[in-house]
Amino acid sequence: MKAVRYLALSMAAVLFLIPFYLVLRNGLATEQEIAAPSWTFWPSEIHWENFAALFSNPAVPMVRSMLNSLVVAVLQTAGQLLLCGLAGYGLARIPYRYANVVLYFVVATLMIPAAVTFVPTFVVVSTLGWVSDLRGLVIPGLFSGFTTFLFRQYFLTFPGELEEAARIDGLGHWGTYWRVVVPNSRGFFAALGVITFVTSWNQFLWPLVIAQDQDAWTVQVALSTFLTAQSINVHELFLAAAVSIAPLVIVFVAMQRFLVRGVTETGIKG
Amino acid sequence: MSNGRAFWLFVGPFAIGLLVFVYVPIGWSLLLSFFDARNTVTPTEFVGLRNYADMLTDQPFLSSLGTFSVFAAFIVPLTFVLALALALLVNQISFMQAFFRSVFFLPTACSYVVASLVWKLSIFNGVRFGLANTVLGWFGAEPVAWTVSTSPPWYWLVLVTLRLWLQLGFYMILFIAGLQRIPQHLYEAAWIDGARPGWQTLRYITLPQLRTTSVAVVLLLLVAAYQAFDEFYNVLGTDRGYPPFARPPLIYLYYTALGSGGQDFGHGSAGAVILTLLIAGVTLLQGRVITR
Amino acid sequence: MISRRRLLSLAGASALLAACGSNTGRGGSGQALKQWYHAYGEPGVQQAVERYASSYPKTQVDVQWNPGDYDSKLATSLLSDGGPDVFESTPQISSVRAGQLVPLDDVFGDARNDFSESILATHTVDGKIYGVPQAVDMQMLFYRKSFLAQAGVQPPSTVDELIDAARRLTRDGVKGLFAGNDGGGGVLGGPALWSAGLDYVRDHQVGFDDPLAAQAIGKLRELYTSGGLLLGAVKDWAEPDAFNQGLVAMQWTGLWAVPAVQKALGDDFGVLPFPKLTGSGRPSVPVGAFGAMVNAKSKRVDEAKEFVRWLWIERTDYQEDFNLGYGFHIPPRKSIAEKASKLTTGAAADAVKFVRDNAKASNPPDWTSVMRTAFNDAVSRVVRDGAPADAEMKGAAGKVRDELKRLYG
Repeated sequence: MKAVRYLALSMAAVLFLIPFYLVLRNGLATEQEIAAPSWTFWPSEIHWENFAALFSNPAVPMVRSMLNSLVVAVLQTAGQLLLCGLAGYGLARIPYRYANVVLYFVVATLMIPAAVTFVPTFVVVSTLGWVSDLRGLVIPGLFSGFTTFLFRQYFLTFPGELEEAARIDGLGHWGTYWRVVVPNSRGFFAALGVITFVTSWNQFLWPLVIAQDQDAWTVQVALSTFLTAQSINVHELFLAAAVSIAPLVIVFVAMQRFLVRGVTETGIKG
Repeated sequence: MSNGRAFWLFVGPFAIGLLVFVYVPIGWSLLLSFFDARNTVTPTEFVGLRNYADMLTDQPFLSSLGTFSVFAAFIVPLTFVLALALALLVNQISFMQAFFRSVFFLPTACSYVVASLVWKLSIFNGVRFGLANTVLGWFGAEPVAWTVSTSPPWYWLVLVTLRLWLQLGFYMILFIAGLQRIPQHLYEAAWIDGARPGWQTLRYITLPQLRTTSVAVVLLLLVAAYQAFDEFYNVLGTDRGYPPFARPPLIYLYYTALGSGGQDFGHGSAGAVILTLLIAGVTLLQGRVITR
Repeated sequence: MISRRRLLSLAGASALLAACGSNTGRGGSGQALKQWYHAYGEPGVQQAVERYASSYPKTQVDVQWNPGDYDSKLATSLLSDGGPDVFESTPQISSVRAGQLVPLDDVFGDARNDFSESILATHTVDGKIYGVPQAVDMQMLFYRKSFLAQAGVQPPSTVDELIDAARRLTRDGVKGLFAGNDGGGGVLGGPALWSAGLDYVRDHQVGFDDPLAAQAIGKLRELYTSGGLLLGAVKDWAEPDAFNQGLVAMQWTGLWAVPAVQKALGDDFGVLPFPKLTGSGRPSVPVGAFGAMVNAKSKRVDEAKEFVRWLWIERTDYQEDFNLGYGFHIPPRKSIAEKASKLTTGAAADAVKFVRDNAKASNPPDWTSVMRTAFNDAVSRVVRDGAPADAEMKGAAGKVRDELKRLYG
């Protein structure tokens, strides 16, 4: 029984790893090897020079688009944690007459996926003059009702004694939040932060709509453009894909504990 | 500082952003859906409910909703069963558990664009050197044009396996978390009562105890399927637009409102409202099931 | 509505955002003009147009090269304020009615009579010209002489002969015909109509509301199911790679590919128009010209017009280089076309003759993207899904009629 389990898991693991193998194989081979009539399992010699070719290809804005993706993901992660954390705390812990009305408006947005409203959001953002602009890429994604709701649920369970102690020390809401609540919630912030970063790095529809200029492309838009146009070499395309995954693989290895918690938090509470 | 001022200090910045980037677009969209808004976002010609009537009788839009249903009918049960199976398997082993969990979770690091690239250009490439066609070739079969052929519609195999690979790990993690919350004493009690480990405990303990997780998973899967865009756009789209089959609702709205399909914001907005109502309806229905 | 500055001050990272935002190249005055091209497949074109732009003495011009779905991208950007100042496209009556394009009659000057009348007509809506034709493109059928000779097949002169040839030329790992990875539904729909003597639009009326249309499109289905088509090639029909690599005996592509094919195959190829279907039909070649246009939302319309005048009216040396230096195009100006020695021999000379005798406008202004989408979707369903051709054509005709009614009343 045990052996059957391990056999099944090992076969599944091989299937799951095949796409990663293909990205590396195709990225480090030559065009001829990829298109060879019989399958080559690994390039006869590894073409490291493909990296140099990719990064020096003027038609592929690899450095710029990776940088854009990084800036967008970092700003969106930081911005969401800041704005949604504050709002979640306010909704959970500050007694106020209209708090429930505000909460109602936040919860109502949970039923409307952001992706479906991309057309009207584009209309608003283009009116602000933010097309092909970093502001247009980042800011509309900051105000997540979902993240705020998760923060509120989390802060509802935050131990009241800690807040009491802070209050006795003479701290107001603001001081309590920054000096006591945030430092004691690092794990939760890290969990939501990692999952936000991953989602932001991988998002596609909004950057596709808003990043018209090549200078504003994220790495996903760049990959997609060359995939649908098929205007560059296949091995460069795969190498670019490998490069685009690399930052996230690092995040996965370094932060897996938080990532797993982030998935659980965002998945179940939804 | 009064509580009211403190509240707005904390909630205000977020609330204003929510207003500008969520509620204003929704309102604007509602407005546009009642106007003839071709090539403009500040229309003047009020047409009442005509855009809605058009969309609800529009064959391509209806068939895109149909496409979603077909896609969901495949992807939701498949992901559910396979993710649960992986979770059960991983949860039952001790040696190399972390390794297997990481391997199945790793695809979450990839975007739909990257997965589309691998699926379209390497695994399901229509020429002889694609991986799937290479394997077929070992058995002497002719190469298949996976993403081109519509009869049989092989592209569904491409799209469904792609999404499975990408999202199974995520839902496996959810199931593992659910499994770990099941109190061990329930199983012990069952064994004492003579239930055998395996089907019986799965049927009478594990599955009922996973009810909350299961409902959440189905809901997330349904909403995600409604919003399918990335892999469809990247696998089937070309530099001359999108073929008239396998068109999910968001793809259709994208081409109607923003693409080469006519910059028609009136019909595009009406379609977005209909889709939103559908998703909200599913969510509410599901919410009722959860709380019952 | 809240002011932009207030909004920014709300976001934590405002300073950083503003700093990053300002250098993504949106055109305020004193900055560069933005010019867009779609991605030409021939090597050297991108460098060439960048060279033209950088030699413009009056303002800096930034060229953006747009691989991928250019039509959709252009449509989106023309709606926003961040679009290009100058771009290449063909005018559609719907964009003219929506006020998205600037009339360019005054930039032509004396050169107006130097442009081919029929090409200017494809850039004229309601008597005004909206694009300065840059280069005339045409599509045609390429065939490999030696492959046809080996198989004992004559160059096809009717649609039935074409289907038969595709079938008979398919052997030993070589396919008969490549007409796009979608099986020809995308590029052969127009030629199929013309082969039966029909058209997209005629005198503001649907030009294919006729039982013959179903028959003509049905032939494309016959071609698709003949087993003679190459599907799933690495590069699509616009690039001659499949033809040059010997994967097919015939390919539908364009005049632009002639230099690349000559280089790969020497004299071992010939070219044909799309054949006629019946006695009443005619052979045809789709002809169209991208024109340089000015975005009505541009903040610098006058500067943009001046740049267009400089590049596409004044600099005949650049126009000649653009038309003949890379892929082949027919110069839209008579004075340049007469000097074009590269177009006087071989396949290129045949192409010029086809354009003279069999030209059909591939993107006439009254054939809008809504109509094109409706028609192409119907053709694709017939060709790839085997949907009934008469019902599909009727459905498409209905949609085209609605759109014509909206535009012309």
